[in-house]
Amino acid sequence: MSSSLLHPPSHLPPGTALQLSQQAPGILGNSTGAVSSSFFQSILSAPETPELWITYENLLLSCLRTGDDESAHQCLGRLVNRFGDDNERIMALKGILKEADADGPATLDTVLKEYDQILQDNPTNIPILKRRVALLRSTGQISKSVSALISLLDISPTDAEAWAELSDLYFSQGLYSQAIFALEEVLVLQPNAWNIYARLGEILYISSKSSGNAGQLVEALKRFSRSIELCDGYLRGHYGLKLTAKQLLSDFPAGLSNRIDSDGFAVPDVTTLKRLDEMATEKLAEIVRRSSAGERGWQGYDEAEIKATRELLESGSSETIR
Amino acid sequence: MTWISKITTAFGILLLADACYSAYEHSVLQTHRAASLSSLAASHNAPSSSLPIDITIETIVATFIVCLGIVLGTSNLRPIQWRVWAGKIEREGEAGFLNNNGEVEKDYVGNPFRLLESRPGFVDIRKQRKEFAEWVKNK
Repeated sequence: MSSSLLHPPSHLPPGTALQLSQQAPGILGNSTGAVSSSFFQSILSAPETPELWITYENLLLSCLRTGDDESAHQCLGRLVNRFGDDNERIMALKGILKEADADGPATLDTVLKEYDQILQDNPTNIPILKRRVALLRSTGQISKSVSALISLLDISPTDAEAWAELSDLYFSQGLYSQAIFALEEVLVLQPNAWNIYARLGEILYISSKSSGNAGQLVEALKRFSRSIELCDGYLRGHYGLKLTAKQLLSDFPAGLSNRIDSDGFAVPDVTTLKRLDEMATEKLAEIVRRSSAGERGWQGYDEAEIKATRELLESGSSETIR
Repeated sequence: MTWISKITTAFGILLLADACYSAYEHSVLQTHRAASLSSLAASHNAPSSSLPIDITIETIVATFIVCLGIVLGTSNLRPIQWRVWAGKIEREGEAGFLNNNGEVEKDYVGNPFRLLESRPGFVDIRKQRKEFAEWVKNK
């Protein structure tokens, strides 16, 4: 996980976000906010880089997250100075700022009405459409946000992020088959996304647990295997593979070999499942061992994931000791 | 470029400059010698000596040293196969993509599909603020 300010901060742990937002006074004080568009001054001063503006945007999001509204407003001021008020992305950032400053449902309603106003003037303003969906979801109006998202996808069907958000919305409501469909659309658009294969496997596993559908379990196995094919030693992929293989072995100890999948893919038999389980366990054990030993080149893993893997391995090994 | 490649390249360029200047000096000497000889003996043309061999050797060696210096300064090769590259990102994080100065490479973006799961266009800023405030309280 990169902690640099060049990447969007929404996935960072709180400690890193605090650290980044504390750089705000330094970065804002470093350069004046003045950006001149006159010819001579742009020759004399240092050339502006795209990284500068990306840094401002991510700094703004980090500051809003940690509650540093003062610096956030300053960042927004500089961005507006450079790009103007009519830029779609700037309008979305202003909307985020207003949502963060809002102190009650009435203010949030006003923000929503403003979004609707902007969309009346320009119905294909994608960043504002996304903000509207996010605000509806945040205020709990899930069905409206789903319909808003579906209309966004009608306008722009190749937006993988929107399909992923739709899948997450459906999953949060327990509508697993729709979530699976939406995630498959994401995969059509981004066929090499190994983490999305793992996510799809996870949703299939959860769905098969609640509905008892063994075909979904087999498909989860396929998805996790594909994620491992795309990414050597993928922790999440191996974890899911181990869980699904164990589940299949315990649900169907005699094997499912007489069933052929919908894709014509033969369901693996018991020996194959056992070998998959062993292979996944071995790989997981190696990852946990090397990463906890602090070996260089194995430190990219997330701590929580390593802890969960350790627990899985311990629970698995205790079963065999009778 | 690492410091050793910088030193090697600088040394090679110095050698090259020295060889070129020596060759220039030699040609000036030739013309001077030819000019003074022609004033003494009108018809006698002394054969012009060719470039001394050590200048030639110096030029060739200097070229090799410059090439060596530049090659030593290249950054690490990155994996070509998708799964090896993806595995490297997941396993090593940004520590696996350092350039020669020890900083993270400019075009390193981590897992490019991580945005599909964090979805910055749909960020719920109020929930993040609440969670952060709770984290600070619990610290």
